[in-house]
Amino acid sequence: MIGFILADLRRLWAGSLVVVLLVALATALGVAVTLQERALRLGSARAADKFDLVIGAPGSETQLVLSSIFLQPSPLPLMAGTVLPRLLADPRVASAAPVGFGDSFGGYAVVGTSTGMVRELEQLSEGRVFTVLGEAVVGSAVDLPLGYAVKPTHGLAELGGHAHTELAYRIVGRLKPTGTAWDRAILVPMQAVWALHGMEVEHDEAEARHDHAHDEAASGGEAGPKHIDADAALNEDWSKVTPGLPAILVRPKSIADAYKLRQDYRDSTTLAVFPGEVLTNLYATLGDAKRVLVGVTTGAQVLVAAAILLVTILHVGQRRRQIGALRAFGAPRRAVFIIVWSELFALIASGVLVGFGLGFAAAKFIAGYLSGESGVAMPVTVAAGDGLLVSILLTFAAGLAVLPAMLAYMQSPAAALRA
Amino acid sequence: MLGLQLQGIDVRFPGLAAPALAIDNLSIAAGSRVALTGASGSGKSTLISILTGLERVGQGRVLWGDIDICTLSEGGRDRWRGANIGLVLQDFHLFPGLSALENVLLPARLAGALTRDIGARALDLLLRVGLARPTQMIETMSRGEMQRVAIARALLRRPGVVIADEPTASLDSEAGDAVGDLLLELSRESGCTLVVATHDLALSRRLDRRIRLAAGRIVEDGTIAERAA
Repeated sequence: MIGFILADLRRLWAGSLVVVLLVALATALGVAVTLQERALRLGSARAADKFDLVIGAPGSETQLVLSSIFLQPSPLPLMAGTVLPRLLADPRVASAAPVGFGDSFGGYAVVGTSTGMVRELEQLSEGRVFTVLGEAVVGSAVDLPLGYAVKPTHGLAELGGHAHTELAYRIVGRLKPTGTAWDRAILVPMQAVWALHGMEVEHDEAEARHDHAHDEAASGGEAGPKHIDADAALNEDWSKVTPGLPAILVRPKSIADAYKLRQDYRDSTTLAVFPGEVLTNLYATLGDAKRVLVGVTTGAQVLVAAAILLVTILHVGQRRRQIGALRAFGAPRRAVFIIVWSELFALIASGVLVGFGLGFAAAKFIAGYLSGESGVAMPVTVAAGDGLLVSILLTFAAGLAVLPAMLAYMQSPAAALRA
Repeated sequence: MLGLQLQGIDVRFPGLAAPALAIDNLSIAAGSRVALTGASGSGKSTLISILTGLERVGQGRVLWGDIDICTLSEGGRDRWRGANIGLVLQDFHLFPGLSALENVLLPARLAGALTRDIGARALDLLLRVGLARPTQMIETMSRGEMQRVAIARALLRRPGVVIADEPTASLDSEAGDAVGDLLLELSRESGCTLVVATHDLALSRRLDRRIRLAAGRIVEDGTIAERAA
């Protein structure tokens, strides 16, 4: 019987191929959406996992996380510089590091931070941590060699940002991959960022003056170009009054401390958030979008199923004489049912399996592309639920194939031969 | 071999006032060779469908040996037909993509009746009908060769009856004669009852008895010897 089925499929290879491709594409669409959404969720969760607590100026929680964790190039309001020394003095804080954004180079974000933050992020794969104002450490995905001179652009070059001519950073180290957006970042001393934007410590007796958008500070309040000593040693004594800061990344000593800190730093001057919590809210929105996408793909799959059913029923109709002949020569009805059912099920099952592979490959490709763009590693993984999805599709296929098989089963052989 | 007894057959199709087939009584002796003749629409194909159990009659009895196939279920008739009827059709109904041997074996295989003995018999039959290459793909064969394969398939399970519906109609005269020879020789060798529905006068003259149908009724029934007399 298998030989007959294979011979039949070989003979009808073009039609069979179209059915397999239709099913494969419909399946791939659903699988790609599911796997890609999961990869995005998992990747962003893992990327945020490295950062326990983020403190910034009051405003959008989501924007604070997107800017500080995912380095999205959007201006953040500044908070008072005194928050940092207060945090460092807090016994519940294991470490706290300032982060400053706003500059870029070659599509990579230039992020001002502390040497401690660089060490906490990941080990260096080569070189060393910056020790003077004009040095930088790059993330693993930054395609620039050690020794390269980085002249930062204010904002994004493609959005008309101007180049800072006062200082060029020399790359002295490279981090190992972290799987976060920071892999595509150029990390420089926070003090250098302040200096480039005219926000040096000695100029900021009244930090309230810096409680305005960084962007404004950089473009409007900036003094004219002046020389910055690239070889000036770093002073990381943050206990002194510091200029305004867009965000501080905090590592609490314990979970209880984390919750207390978040509570204490949510007031009229600061906003403390758990990145994971903010992401959960984002996922809820993503979840809605996923439901819409799953609805659309399910609709596409139902349409394909209906098309295949129609084609199959027409096909069984066209093969009435062949089916009638099989019966006339003594093949039992059961055999006719099995032949028709097996052929259709084999085609749909092949399509489902090929589609799963295609969907996985598509999700991998998209995740790779997005990872390349954002630096956030997006692991495309297959979960037990995917096996269930395949089982459901195969069960559906088995049910779908019953209809034409029943038509063949119930067909009168004499009428079929007369057709 | 099986003998036939038809009694009180009345077959009607919806929308037609006259019966498509009305036979009060017909006997065919086991091992005899009968020609069914008649114009198109005379009821030959309907009679063949009834004789083979492909169609169930609304009224009457179709006794092959001592089995009334009208009383059998659909599946029972399939099994009975597979075991007792060898069928040769005008259009061969061979399956492309399979070899001659695979085609001969297919019905037995699907019916779960394939044994080593049946496999060996298939090869013998293919040789007997003059096909030396059992693995030749069916679509590469001439029409005459295809009908030979169909004859081998019909005889595979040593049926008690061989029924042929216009076996030579789609062949040229030379191939038709060869197919006629084979049908007669092989049925004689196996001792089975042979019923051939045909327009082919040359073929019908070589059979023992001729039954002519017109408008669903038997209008002539006699042996060739009687008609000659």
